[in-house]
Amino acid sequence: MTAVVADPEAEQTPAPLLSRALPVVMRWVGTLAVALVVFSVLLLLKGASPVTAYTGIWESTFLRSRSLQEIVVQMTPLVLGALAVAVPARAGLTNVGGEGQIIMGGVGACGAFLFVGETAAPGLLLVAMLVSAMVAGAVWAGIAAAMRLVAGVNEAISTLLLNFVALDVLLFLIYQPWRESPVGQPATVELVDAAKLPFVAATRINVGIVLALVLAVVVYLALSRTRWGYKISVAGGNAEAARRAGLNVRLLVLSALMIGGALAGIAGMIQFAGVEYKLRPSFGYQLGYTSFLACWLARHQPFPILVAAFVFAALSVSGDSLQLDAGVPAASIHVLTAFILIAVLGFTASRRKAAA
Amino acid sequence: MTLCHPLLEVLGLTKSFGEIKAATDVSLEVWPGEVHALVGENGAGKSTLLKMIYGVYHPDAGQLVFDGHEAVVASPSDARRLGIGMVFQDLRLVPALTVAENIALAIPGGVRLRLGALRARIDEASERFGLAVDSRAWVGHLSIGERQRVEILKVLMTGARLVILDEPTSVLAPQEVEALFRVVEHLRSQDFGVVIVTHKLDEVRTIADRATVLRGGRAVLSNIVPSQHSDAELVEAMVGRSVADLQRPPARTSEPNGAAPALELAGIECASDGGHLALKAIKLAVRSGELVGIAGVAGSGQRELCEVALGLRRPRAGTVRINGTQVRSAAAALAAGAASVPEDPVADAVVSRLDVTGHMILNGRPLPARRLGIDWRKVRETTADADQRLGLRMAAPHRRVSELSGGNIQRVVLTRELSLDATLVVAAYPSRGLDIANVRRTQEILLERRDAGAGVLVVSEDLDELMGLADRILVMHDGAISGEVLPAAFDRQSIGSLMTGGAA
Repeated sequence: MTAVVADPEAEQTPAPLLSRALPVVMRWVGTLAVALVVFSVLLLLKGASPVTAYTGIWESTFLRSRSLQEIVVQMTPLVLGALAVAVPARAGLTNVGGEGQIIMGGVGACGAFLFVGETAAPGLLLVAMLVSAMVAGAVWAGIAAAMRLVAGVNEAISTLLLNFVALDVLLFLIYQPWRESPVGQPATVELVDAAKLPFVAATRINVGIVLALVLAVVVYLALSRTRWGYKISVAGGNAEAARRAGLNVRLLVLSALMIGGALAGIAGMIQFAGVEYKLRPSFGYQLGYTSFLACWLARHQPFPILVAAFVFAALSVSGDSLQLDAGVPAASIHVLTAFILIAVLGFTASRRKAAA
Repeated sequence: MTLCHPLLEVLGLTKSFGEIKAATDVSLEVWPGEVHALVGENGAGKSTLLKMIYGVYHPDAGQLVFDGHEAVVASPSDARRLGIGMVFQDLRLVPALTVAENIALAIPGGVRLRLGALRARIDEASERFGLAVDSRAWVGHLSIGERQRVEILKVLMTGARLVILDEPTSVLAPQEVEALFRVVEHLRSQDFGVVIVTHKLDEVRTIADRATVLRGGRAVLSNIVPSQHSDAELVEAMVGRSVADLQRPPARTSEPNGAAPALELAGIECASDGGHLALKAIKLAVRSGELVGIAGVAGSGQRELCEVALGLRRPRAGTVRINGTQVRSAAAALAAGAASVPEDPVADAVVSRLDVTGHMILNGRPLPARRLGIDWRKVRETTADADQRLGLRMAAPHRRVSELSGGNIQRVVLTRELSLDATLVVAAYPSRGLDIANVRRTQEILLERRDAGAGVLVVSEDLDELMGLADRILVMHDGAISGEVLPAAFDRQSIGSLMTGGAA
């Protein structure tokens, strides 16, 4: 006790970064290795050589500048979508609604573009689209939060079902009021250049990645260093203890889920204004669910989310080269993705057991 | 069945963990048909000793003799094979399965599960040992006491002849303790050996034929007959010094004119979670500088009373005032200066993933701010200061609560709540799970809070504790206050009669 009194800092200093990070890194490497080995068996059964396939993937995905840029572009919405899961998770909530919140973010951004149009100054137009997307995502998540608070509906169910509603909203808008032309594919009018996100330097990477990285840091700080972060982790850890300590648990639930929705909305805006430029029926397809998995892989921690999002984006990009080099369908990459998830599940389970 | 040797002999068991000597040269013996109490304060080495007997730890020195033969117990399954069964404090049953299915998990058998036959065996064994266990009930629906009996049955059905109960009463209500002791008596009458861990002297006197007292990893007294020793002797053996009687100077409740009481409940009617009327026309006041005890059989409305007083449960009728301010929410009660020790701290007061320091600010007071964040340096200082002032010796500040035992969690909650400068303290079963030295210290702190001018409300099932502490005892029966007893008239009989609805 006296030692603690004399030097309160010493007790609290965490272990050096390297020794904390090493087991995590080992876990990731181990997980990937298991998944790759199992996938090799599948490749062999298809008559493809795993060595050729993997070297092909390596060379075409990581040694080519264009592929690397594509990975960064694809990981951007995944980072934000995963953060949208991580914030509510801290409050003990399961946000499966990234898919719908991303769509609503795109819809919000598109609405702002159509409403403000070219009248606004270019910078201001992007800000208006961003704010509108955040509000749309937050409101969409807020519906689930309100249902939980008023009627006790489990938010995992309501956010999931709202995904389908969001898709219907999108389809209605692009088939009816926002449709560019009555013939051809249903889609909105393409954004004007002033409404497109600029690229970073001389690359094809839009500036969304910068925003995503900044927000990952902001979320990390908000969760671990603010009074709000402390409160939501108390509410998420033991709601009754939070209530007895006079915390407004309802407000905390609402804020955590709505902030999650806003983050997903930003993902939608970036996907819209940085990649797709039009709303089509397939807008943001699967981004929300992939983000959910990425967040889970990263155990809801902001910085590991960056790595997980990178891994998923890299897998998606390498699907194409798999088809070219190994002669198996590009969709086989989903099998590899599934193996990775199952391997993560296995590692998580064994860790829990060891802890018990 | 008379044997000429003990069922279990423990000879000089010694175990250290690095520098720490958890057990040193501990010896004891248990005969068939004997209930042997193992007593000692927290950290006395009881758990270490049990884990060596059950094969979880391997002793550095010493040996076990079971049924006259030297036994090597390398693992819990070795122990079970020999006939040693253990009922852990944290019960290890699957709530989603029935009693029969849980027992099937423990009993080695063929591939096919013959639940019908097993149920018949369970019912027969339950009858024989007086356990009153329903083999078809879902474990999730059973009370803690019933689950404990399922564990005992499970241990017996796997062939145990020596049953070890690790602090079985720490999680039980008084009636459940009586039911448990009836089961233990059944076991004794059928020549089982029973080892029961406790730190309550009255339980030792009620149930144990012999006792061994541990302190600091050593057996201070081995194989003694409790009736040949006085309470003072046993307490001194456990604590290492004599514990003086609690001194309770009379309360100084000289209230200035017109000052409102610390807590005032008027005309409270309130429903329980189940919807029936749990509080009926409750009227009570706790003045500043006064300690009021609430006695009553468990479930007479104590829980609801505490929750109403703290703004946690909305009454159907009536008003709650703390220092004259009407209270309608937990936040309002806390703002008016309330502090509370809940009945079930693990469920209601702690967050398992937070460390001890993180818990110290979960007290309803404004979080110490540093820009947008929390001033953890200040929190650590106040934590160290509170720990030193109160002297309940909390676990280290960086320990996570999920790693702590029930008694340690209770000390964290007590230190947090009783170090506050509160005007009202509501403490439900404050000494639950604590050892003798900490029970005494907690009682002293409650009186210190009283003398510092707080109104203190203590709910307890332990009449001796209440009679030692309270300036007044209110007795609850069936949701109403059935009587008030002043210190001059404190006596177990009259309070007991009020508790069951009779007249004083």
